[in-house]
Amino acid sequence: MSLLTSLARLRALEEGIAQPIATVRHCHLAERPMVLIPLRMSGEAAAPLAALLGTRRDDPRLLVVTQPRNRDLRFAWAADLAAELLPYIGSFLAGTETVERKNSDPYERVLDAPQILVPNQAGIAFIRLLGRSTRFRRAHGPYPVPPTVPLLGRWLTYFGERATHPGSSLMTAVTEELGRHWASGQSGLEDANLAALTAWITTGPSDDAEDPLVWPPAGPATDPGFDAEVLAPAIEAGAAERITEALRGQLEPTWRLMWQAVDLLRELPEGASVEQRWEQDRGSFSAMAQHIAEGAPPQARRDGAVAAASRLARMERAQAAYEVQRAYDDPLVMAEYRLTGEAFAGEVVETEPEHSEGEGRSRKLRPLVVVKTDDPVRLAPGTALGTPQRRAQGAQLVEARDGLVTVKITKGMGRGKTPAPGSVPEVGERVCYTSLTDDFQGSPALPEAEATPWTHGGPPREYAPSDEDALEEWS
Amino acid sequence: MNRLDALRGTTPPKPHDARAIAALAANPGCARRALLDGAGIDKDATARHLGFPAPFGQSPFAITRGNAFEALVKADGCAELLRMLREVLELPVAEVAYHDVENVGAHLRHTHTRALIDRAARDEHDSGTIYDHPLLGLEIAGHTAYLEPDVVAFQLGGRFHIVEIKSFAVIDGQADPAAVAAAARQAAVYVLALRRMLRELGHDPLRVAHDVVLVCPENFANRPVATLVDVRRQLAVLERQLSRMTGLDRLVEGLPEELTFDLLPGEDGLPTRPAAELADALRRTTARYAPDCLSTCDLCFFCRDEARQEGACDLLGRQVRDELGGVASAEEALGLADGSRAPAEGQEEIARLLRTAERLRRECLA
Amino acid sequence: MGDRLDDLERRIDELRAGVRRAMRARDTATARGLRADLRAAERAWDALVTGGLDPALPNDARAVPPPGDVRAVFPHDNARAVSPPEGPGRLAIPGEALGGVPVGGAPSSTAAAGGAAGRQPGAGGRRGGGGLRLVTVREQAHQALTLLGVPAQPRLIAAVREAFLGGGLRGAQLTSLRRDEERSFASSPYGRPYYLCAALTDRLSPARGLLAVSTWPQELRMVGPLSPRVHFLTCAVAVAERMAGGHGVDAEPDSGAARLLARMARNIPGGAVLDIGPPDPARVIEAARAELAVHAERDTRDRADLARRAAAQLGDRGRLFGAATLSTIGDRAATGPPAT
Repeated sequence: MSLLTSLARLRALEEGIAQPIATVRHCHLAERPMVLIPLRMSGEAAAPLAALLGTRRDDPRLLVVTQPRNRDLRFAWAADLAAELLPYIGSFLAGTETVERKNSDPYERVLDAPQILVPNQAGIAFIRLLGRSTRFRRAHGPYPVPPTVPLLGRWLTYFGERATHPGSSLMTAVTEELGRHWASGQSGLEDANLAALTAWITTGPSDDAEDPLVWPPAGPATDPGFDAEVLAPAIEAGAAERITEALRGQLEPTWRLMWQAVDLLRELPEGASVEQRWEQDRGSFSAMAQHIAEGAPPQARRDGAVAAASRLARMERAQAAYEVQRAYDDPLVMAEYRLTGEAFAGEVVETEPEHSEGEGRSRKLRPLVVVKTDDPVRLAPGTALGTPQRRAQGAQLVEARDGLVTVKITKGMGRGKTPAPGSVPEVGERVCYTSLTDDFQGSPALPEAEATPWTHGGPPREYAPSDEDALEEWS
Repeated sequence: MNRLDALRGTTPPKPHDARAIAALAANPGCARRALLDGAGIDKDATARHLGFPAPFGQSPFAITRGNAFEALVKADGCAELLRMLREVLELPVAEVAYHDVENVGAHLRHTHTRALIDRAARDEHDSGTIYDHPLLGLEIAGHTAYLEPDVVAFQLGGRFHIVEIKSFAVIDGQADPAAVAAAARQAAVYVLALRRMLRELGHDPLRVAHDVVLVCPENFANRPVATLVDVRRQLAVLERQLSRMTGLDRLVEGLPEELTFDLLPGEDGLPTRPAAELADALRRTTARYAPDCLSTCDLCFFCRDEARQEGACDLLGRQVRDELGGVASAEEALGLADGSRAPAEGQEEIARLLRTAERLRRECLA
Repeated sequence: MGDRLDDLERRIDELRAGVRRAMRARDTATARGLRADLRAAERAWDALVTGGLDPALPNDARAVPPPGDVRAVFPHDNARAVSPPEGPGRLAIPGEALGGVPVGGAPSSTAAAGGAAGRQPGAGGRRGGGGLRLVTVREQAHQALTLLGVPAQPRLIAAVREAFLGGGLRGAQLTSLRRDEERSFASSPYGRPYYLCAALTDRLSPARGLLAVSTWPQELRMVGPLSPRVHFLTCAVAVAERMAGGHGVDAEPDSGAARLLARMARNIPGGAVLDIGPPDPARVIEAARAELAVHAERDTRDRADLARRAAAQLGDRGRLFGAATLSTIGDRAATGPPAT
């Protein structure tokens, strides 16, 4: 959290309503998102109790395990969930485009991808565990399960893992996304409560948000009072309908909040880089679909050393790219870097468009721009700069003194003797330059998995799910 | 009557359990909590009476599951536990002797635990290996809190280990870090209590290992798996906290003579003290509210409400508070930001930052 | 009916909120009253929504279906089944799976019974398709204890029954058994051929949660520090021998017997080669005997000492049911002065 966000939180506290900390939406929002609210049986690691899900706000589907300790009902529930989610996922596989790649074969990428919205991070963690507890099951042999169950497990595992990828929107926690766009007047810890956060954004803080009788928790944990006073007696009495209706009552308020959150996010204009990140999501999703179609085994329990290292490097690059892109897309995010002196903005007061360096054949066009700024610039001469106003442009800081910053344009102004029209800002234009740039160092040189050094356990064995995996209990 | 007892008044003292003692260490700077705990005050009842009941509660399903798992670990002469201790502590096969301290009846459990531990520490011939249902004592500000670790294991070679049985799952080698941290804090309380018992008995307290044996279900099955958890850090924090608790006198001295948090329970045990009066009394002590209190302290909603009324930056979390270093209230911070308030000495830098931040926000949102 | 349901739902919501509010305020009296109203409303709702089927059947009274049979799980379209009645004279039928007993041979219950039979074709103690033999809970426990040969916890007794003697026994049914037996012994000592009694600790008090048989020698009914382990290993040998003897061995790997033995095997050094796969009874016996050899001598000596003390200090009833239950004064005498 930055000081800018802290200030927004203070302002929210003072004014009694959340304050914007973004001017555009930084996540993709599907036309037809799958809203999924899972509930877990208290005290169990990953025993499902219920889920409310669907792509239309007026048509939620309720799935309930009416006897939560019964293993067969759990698998029946998982099969029901598969019957909802797999067709939704599959509906995106039909339309594809061919993508050409440098140094590699072209591949097919889906035109659009599924998006699963869950209430909070704990919900994502639970989805991941559901994936873990179902992907190794088998449709044949002892303890057979419906064949859709292991398939669902692989997809849930995929979505759960992809959710940790910075900037991905395939599966996101709604509280996280709201929190990225609004600062409430409460702590980050309390922001994890969907009802409380939504109240801060829409009407102002409400004590009701923390009253489980008014707003039941958004899962996956249920309210202990509900467990004790409603669920336990109903399970004891074996009253399936009563259990179903009680759980519906616990889930429906959150269902309404989820769609309210979708509306709030949809009102924001989409950031310029969102589409690019969604394209990566589509590519990743296509690769997963391909993987499954080729009959590859389910994801291993743990990554091998090389896979783990390359995953980590990938995540770090994604994180850096995500931060830069958000700053370029959104002046309010860029303001955080202006506050720390890594960016500055202001009005152009002087230009020298035809300034050049060198003589004869090595003579190069290097237009100069002087910007008047109130920002505390903390950049050394020679620092490479980029600008959100002209994303293809490269520049360098020449001098910063007394609120006047001289910038030399080094790239993106054309090859002629004079700069291409529009490539050099005019006097009076507002511009922003920053040392944040979106060109990243390439991926680290990691060995192929087959060449994993012995210090890291040697080449991993191909993961073959064992009988034990398939027979594992599920509690 | 000592001052702490006077703070509690006629309300019966609430014994501490390990969880409560561990939570003490969670917010060391809170004088209100230190005083209430030191005086053995029932914070849960106090919070209810104030109209700010604590937001916790445990699901009956979680309780049932926890009990069932513990029973499984201890079933058949602790067969599962012995397997795990043999794995993680390399316990020799001959070491299987089992003592159920509870066999002596509740009133003798603590004495019996002491006798058994003393015998084991003296390395007498028939010392045991597994002590089930032991009862330890720990002095908290003049009161003895009785603590019930799940199991104490004694190992040939003279080491004692605390065994902590928890029903959260370890999945593919990973568990919920918050749950593990809480278990470690709680186990550290037992380690400390057992070390003090050994010291009182004239033995080397360091014979109690700082590695506790944490037993959890593995993956999605009920099968238990043991992991050694190093609780040295938790022990250090706890010891420091408890030494501060003994310095309660200083905190008490600053309080008005007649101050009491007595609930004045009537014949039916229900409080008769006017809630507003109790709230006023509590406000005479300084709390240090942080959002983390919401999961550890019964009084959290009361203190949060107080922090809200004061517009304290603490409400927004430690990160915000640290970022605003030295600016306590929202009003003050916002005043510095919009320039309506002049920075006090030492606030120049934060004031400059806040002013810039305010200008940037206005500019971007215009 | 819709209107009535709506009304009931509203009422249920109000009552639930009321109960939880009362609970939060620790107002137990109000909560209790509201809870009673709530239960009544819920029952009415259940009855209305299920169209008159009786939903008020207690949970444990339902036939729990064998794993794999999803259809049989839920009550309303399934046979009703009742659990054995409570009390000392409890009846149960051996061979019936997992606690359900068909009422009057209701035909639709055969799914559950058939499933059980299919999975345990050679289960010992199961009678052929003829008439049902009624066996009391105490007799069932007695058979299991005789098989094991040492004091055991209800949980293990129930598992052994399920594995070899036909299920139907739940650990919970045994919890009050010892008290009932003691009462019976007190009113007419030695009136029965055997009693299910306590095992005694080194303080001559009844060991918690252990059942023993009165006809066993006193040494066998004593519990020294090593005895819990010795009991476990002895039980493992008994279970493995029973399996090696052809009982339950041809059952599927997930049969109760195989699961019981596998669970025991993995807790004995050298008892299980791998985590997975059916345990080898011969291997379990060998491993258990190897560890038993380490503990046996001292355990036998400890128990003999304790048995002598019991004989010297306790009367007939005490020798069977332990000192502490005679009176609290006896307890104090046995344990020394009270704590300070």
